[in-house]
Amino acid sequence: MTEILSVHGAKKSYGAVKALRGADLVVEEGEVHALCGDNGAGKSTLIKLVSGVENPDGGEIAVRGEKVRLSNPHAALAAGIATIHQDLGLAPGMMIYQNIFMGSELQKHLLGIPVLDRSAMIAKSQEFLVSLNSVMRDMKARVENLSGGQRQAVAICRALRWKAEIIIMDEPTAALGVRETEEVIKLIRRLKENGVTVILISHSMHDVTAVADRVTILRNGRTQISRSTAGLTPEKLSELIVEGGTDEDDPD
Amino acid sequence: MRGFVAKYGTALAGLAVLVFFLFFARNFASSANILNILKHATFLTILATGFTFALLTSELDLSFANLASLAAVVTGGLIAGGTAWPLAALAGLGIASAGGLANGILVTAIKVPSLITTLGTAAIANGIAFMITGGVAFVGRWDPLFLSLARGKFFGVPVLIFFMLGVVFIAWFVTKQTKLGVHMLATGEAQEAAHRAGIATSRMKLIGLTLSGVTAGIAAVLLVANLSSAAPQMAGDYLLNGIAAVLLGMTMFEPGRPNVAGTFVGALIISVLGNGLVLFGAPYYLQDIMLGVIVIASVSVSASVLKKAAFSV
Repeated sequence: MTEILSVHGAKKSYGAVKALRGADLVVEEGEVHALCGDNGAGKSTLIKLVSGVENPDGGEIAVRGEKVRLSNPHAALAAGIATIHQDLGLAPGMMIYQNIFMGSELQKHLLGIPVLDRSAMIAKSQEFLVSLNSVMRDMKARVENLSGGQRQAVAICRALRWKAEIIIMDEPTAALGVRETEEVIKLIRRLKENGVTVILISHSMHDVTAVADRVTILRNGRTQISRSTAGLTPEKLSELIVEGGTDEDDPD
Repeated sequence: MRGFVAKYGTALAGLAVLVFFLFFARNFASSANILNILKHATFLTILATGFTFALLTSELDLSFANLASLAAVVTGGLIAGGTAWPLAALAGLGIASAGGLANGILVTAIKVPSLITTLGTAAIANGIAFMITGGVAFVGRWDPLFLSLARGKFFGVPVLIFFMLGVVFIAWFVTKQTKLGVHMLATGEAQEAAHRAGIATSRMKLIGLTLSGVTAGIAAVLLVANLSSAAPQMAGDYLLNGIAAVLLGMTMFEPGRPNVAGTFVGALIISVLGNGLVLFGAPYYLQDIMLGVIVIASVSVSASVLKKAAFSV
């Protein structure tokens, strides 16, 4: 396996608050990597650095072994990293295909004038959704009429539209019911099958043990543990997050 | 069925009103009266189309009528002073567009809410219009070619109709068929999401407010040509009429969302209603009451969108 994303010694302070005191995160290509930790451990801050929302005070970020500066969200997207925030960033009143292609609409030329290419966007949207095994017939349906799982699928399609190789999902199941949570877990598995690397931030021990290959646990702004989820039960994981555990390394 | 009523109910009601007046209002169907209605509808449609663009990006423009009045006195004043009319018309168009641009800059760069910004620029435009004219109207001799902009006919059809349809078509095309239109819509629908998706939301609002100024300028030039005079406050009545047309339009075709087709039909309905009521012998003040009812009723119908948008300052 090759490293697709690595963060070493990331530091970030907000005034007197040291959110990150030298955190590490190594993600391998094609894996689902969970990022865990209690509130205030530094998960969100670490993700903000990787998605280009904030700039680090120190440390290095590398994509496929090459050092990168992700000074804004566009730079992160250009590096192949798309972030799906908890609120998904969708326009509920707009159609599925409009949301998938928001900000990067396909165009064709009509008498030399660039106009929207609706049929192409609709066909492409359908393709993206099929690749996720997600069934939605009407690409002109408004997102506000979709289930939580379907909305997540639309948000993922937008990331795929941007040709993201790494998709960061921030608490994707936090607001969902049991069935919708299962739907999202299936989506993540499907992404993995398609060769997309997923970084999953989650408070749900069940989700992490169900879908993640490896997990990194942060504590007080530092990386506490990074290991395989093999043999890890939700209870054990919970223990590791709360108690901290030992600074053992990944056995592989 | 419910969807059909939501989309086309208002337009059908408008059609019913039209048929009613055709049968029961004396002289309503005369060609002179129909021309009158279409003229009013032209000015109203053009002004309201600009407001539609602003509202599409979730910003209000309360200044378009006064910007139109200002543009009218600038155009009229220059022509009265001997300037060639095409230049004078361009100057009028320019001043209204500049007003719209100023609104856009104040709202997006200085972050003054559009309700306040445009209320302010409306007052400023009004003041300048009175300053230019000294409070009286510009009248005098006008180039017949200039007057023909509003009074001429082309193959028997008033030229004004072409202006109206031209503005409506261009606006419809921009909002429905172009990236710019869908970016403006996304800005109005979900600004934060649009911004994160890489849409220049501030620029979209700037464009929306500027276009509202541009259409005010177009309407102003046509108004001057139609009346062969220019006075401050000459477009004042179009403020409430225009807002009512857009809000009424939001109850049609794409319920809850400002849309060009709805604005067009809304402007037609309001023009027909206003005219028919007068012919019916209704007192003049009934018009204001009618507009007030339309504004409130339309917003209550399409409240779901408006609540999160421009009207919650």
